[in-house]
Amino acid sequence: MKQLKKGVAILLVMVMSLMAFTGCKKENAANDGNNDSTQKPTTTTAPNTDAQPTAEAAEPDTITVLLPPVSPTYQDYFDEWAKEFNELYPNLTLNIEAASWEDVGQKLDVQVQAGSPPDIAFVGAGSISKYIDTGLLVDISDYATEEMLNDFDQNILNYYRNGDGLYGMPAYAEVHGIGGNREMLEKAGIDWRKVQQEGWTFEEFREAIKKGVVKEGDTTKTYGFVFACSGVTAADYLNIFVKNAGMPDIFTKDLKYAYTSKNFLKLLEAMRTLIDDGSMPKELSSIDAGKRWNMFLTGQTMITGKGLSVFERSAKLNNDKIDANDGSAVEGSIKADYIILPVPTFFGNPMQAAGAIDGYVMFRGKEEPKAEHLSNVAKAMYFLASGEIAAITCNDLYISPVCQTGKDAMANVEKPEGKNEDNTKAAERLVSMISAARTDITPELGAKAQRIADEVMVPKFQALLANEITPQQMYDAVKQAAIEAFGEDGIVVD
Amino acid sequence: MNKVKNTSLHARKKRKLTNESIWGYIFILAPLLVFLLFTLYPILDAFIISFQKFKPLKTEWVGLENYTKTFKSSLFYQSLINTVVYTGITVPLSMLMSFVISILIVPLTKKKQNFFKAAYYLPAIASGVALSFVWKWIYDPLPSGLLNRLVSFFGVDNQNWLGSSNTAMFSLILMALLSSHGSTIIIYIAALLGIDNSYYESADIDGATFFEKIRYIVLPLVKPTTVFLLITSVIGSFQVFQNAYLMTGGGPDNKTTMVGLLIFNNAFKYFEYGQASAQALILTVIIGIFTFVQFKITGDNVEY
Amino acid sequence: MALYKSYSKNEKGKQYLRNGLIMTLLAILALATLFPIYYMIMSSFGAPVESGAASYSLIMKNPTLDSYKFFFAYSKYSLRWILNSFIVAGAVTVSNVIFATAAGYAFSKLRFAGNKLLFSLLLVAMMIPYQVTQVPLYILVVNVLKIDNTYTALIAPGLVSAYNVFLAKQFIGSLPTEIIEASKIEGCSQFKLLTKIIMPLSKTVMAVMAINTFMNSWNTFFWPFLVTKTENMQTIQVGLKNFSFANTTYFAPMMAGATVSALPMFILFFMLQKYFLEGVTVGAVKG
Repeated sequence: MKQLKKGVAILLVMVMSLMAFTGCKKENAANDGNNDSTQKPTTTTAPNTDAQPTAEAAEPDTITVLLPPVSPTYQDYFDEWAKEFNELYPNLTLNIEAASWEDVGQKLDVQVQAGSPPDIAFVGAGSISKYIDTGLLVDISDYATEEMLNDFDQNILNYYRNGDGLYGMPAYAEVHGIGGNREMLEKAGIDWRKVQQEGWTFEEFREAIKKGVVKEGDTTKTYGFVFACSGVTAADYLNIFVKNAGMPDIFTKDLKYAYTSKNFLKLLEAMRTLIDDGSMPKELSSIDAGKRWNMFLTGQTMITGKGLSVFERSAKLNNDKIDANDGSAVEGSIKADYIILPVPTFFGNPMQAAGAIDGYVMFRGKEEPKAEHLSNVAKAMYFLASGEIAAITCNDLYISPVCQTGKDAMANVEKPEGKNEDNTKAAERLVSMISAARTDITPELGAKAQRIADEVMVPKFQALLANEITPQQMYDAVKQAAIEAFGEDGIVVD
Repeated sequence: MNKVKNTSLHARKKRKLTNESIWGYIFILAPLLVFLLFTLYPILDAFIISFQKFKPLKTEWVGLENYTKTFKSSLFYQSLINTVVYTGITVPLSMLMSFVISILIVPLTKKKQNFFKAAYYLPAIASGVALSFVWKWIYDPLPSGLLNRLVSFFGVDNQNWLGSSNTAMFSLILMALLSSHGSTIIIYIAALLGIDNSYYESADIDGATFFEKIRYIVLPLVKPTTVFLLITSVIGSFQVFQNAYLMTGGGPDNKTTMVGLLIFNNAFKYFEYGQASAQALILTVIIGIFTFVQFKITGDNVEY
Repeated sequence: MALYKSYSKNEKGKQYLRNGLIMTLLAILALATLFPIYYMIMSSFGAPVESGAASYSLIMKNPTLDSYKFFFAYSKYSLRWILNSFIVAGAVTVSNVIFATAAGYAFSKLRFAGNKLLFSLLLVAMMIPYQVTQVPLYILVVNVLKIDNTYTALIAPGLVSAYNVFLAKQFIGSLPTEIIEASKIEGCSQFKLLTKIIMPLSKTVMAVMAINTFMNSWNTFFWPFLVTKTENMQTIQVGLKNFSFANTTYFAPMMAGATVSALPMFILFFMLQKYFLEGVTVGAVKG
């Protein structure tokens, strides 16, 4: 007992002294990073008014930013960017906080609910409606200058519009598509260059992935196509394919819920046949993103989804490791060149690429913010979304910037070595086919549709992939939920 | 010293603060303060929010709407059933396993005890990240999956563990059973070691068998521990949502949607904090009833 | 341990057989539970490369320490994260062991008005799903108390948990009341009684509490993630998440970090083990 007590006492003392010690260190560290401003970095702190009465236009202000690792090297630049920004606007301090992709949304959500979000956050254009609903998302049209907004591709910028408001600036536009293994595509006799340029129909796609299947006895060695469908990722598979079946959005132009169209049922039937053909694994419903990428690298599938341009980089990195032969390549992997492919079109409908537009949004706190602070935030937003930073980010992601200054700055950025030019062209073509932005879907409609997607569509779709229900059953369930949510008149009947 | 005892008895009768009760309050002061500040306040807040449509800027009162909505939602009932099934299977089995393992570890020599205690406890220190990778690999639906390799050895077909409604719940339960008893075992062993040898010695004299000793000595004496573990495990299991969130997303066909997942989605995915609070309070009442029943059945001295 | 039959000398064979069977059974189960830890350690010796996926390999190939180097070079705060975790978990553990034991004693053995009601309240605290208390708690700590990004914010909400109070109450409740009465007659004050009689008798459960609390606190991710704003205040669990990106992960360095972060717990476990190895029985103290 004595020993235990002694031990506890020692531990206690140790902890106390450590706390005191590190407490000091912490303050020092905070000061180091904050030479330029003695202001505490809080969103709502009013600028110190009596400090510099002469320089009213240049009152010191701090802008807080919460960012995920948008691209592989993105977070390495934070200190540099904060410094550059401060050189550009000597009265402004940029305070960047990083969080991983998986968790950044949840931290933001807690902060938003608590009424104290950062000034700038990284939010996909698809999820702005729930933030608009909180009243904390700031309409930037009053604070961003004309010049800033004209820099962006207008269709892409429009993804951040809702109603009359503009709520963000895009960092990039990426197309969620699919991608194939070059050698296998060629072996299966698929003219991938032609597909990249002209697209393909579902029938062509179905035949192509049948040819990609390699069997050894009864077991399939290579599948034609694998899409990550485990858990919530199943939604991606459906959302990407449904665009090319005549339903570019959940709501039609006259704001009726689109997925009650007969085409939706036909699409489900078509997607089911790919598994029944044996071109896709029957266990598709629980293959996760990591697994399917492993399958791609190890030659277990010819085509994989969802596909992003940056996968070319991941595949190339692994190829280099195979060449180096130092055992660091993914176990069992083969050399695989990643080829960007468009999603097939269904029933003669036009190609509508699924745009994933991510970017920067502006928040206010509970207290009424000052207009000047908000225009400062707009400056910081534009700083992050344009020019050199846009170029670096997009270059990292193997895509082209969506703003003119970013495109111009690409000249100064070192391009990745050995980049596949066909892929670059295909990606550009796909970005140009991103479906038109919808600014007329109210947050309320969007929220209802999201709930149907989470509570009915995805669970039923998983069951469909696992062959537990028929396409008709899933269609009926979605239709019933849609009628409950939007009424008989709120849905498409054809 | 008789005097001391008398006065304290006297004081108690008069319902004044006795020396004993003053110390009682001092001893519980710290937990009480932490509780008041960091638990009661958030709970009261959640209670208030459950009658509101909560928005950071302006909040509307909606009366009982959040509750009526919840009671009308068939998904809520389904997730409640899922949660009860999950708890009903996981908790008893997990406790039984831990108890048996503890009983098996206790007679070994110190060195072997050390080894096995470490072996069963230390996996908890593997980071959650490592654990989730491992379990995804175990449940890999293709023949390369670890569990599929294992069952194919016994001639069973390849299974879509997390992706089929027949096996998804089973898979989550198996995961809970194999990854969560480190601390339960340690607590059981602590309780077993607290049993005085004299009990066994007198039982030996009476010629009691091993199972009789378990039945008449061990089980009664570790009962407070069993009650503790049962109640805390049930509480924990009712709130579970991480596994479903990470492994299945509630699918397929909502067969693994837990109440905790619904609450999480309402609170953060849809920003329906009012409804999340209402569901959480309903869940709390249900957990409370279960806890009360457990205390009654086990006849523990706590009057709840 | 006399729970099991003790065999006489000429029956040694039987005893070996029995213990052998027990050992085999335990070993098989242990293999299953140890697998994740094996996987973590093995993967940590892989090369520090970005990959889209975890490794699916059972055997170590070309073991290298590069991922460990990478982990420490990745951020200048790598060691600081571990130190932070140590400070937080250490403080939380010490306060839990002391306060929960005291409260457990009070709830189980002392009579005072409101004893049962207050204890029930503590139990209710455990039953509320944390998803809904998270935002009010965040508002309290960050907006009201304004202590975000401090050790206080990391430590205070965990100072003493209802779980530990309940555990202590159950254990101390089973100690015979006669000992307490006897000491009272000898003129012991309640404070002395707690420190000189109850705590020595509760050594085992205190050790159990210590290791469990330390482990939980060490593994906590979400709360530290919420209330830290700068890298130098992050704990190791928060820091480890920095290794996973959108589509790629520095898998081996992340596992190296996880292995490094597991070490202190490993050491603590073996340090404390002697306390829960030997049970303390009332008889032992009396005799």
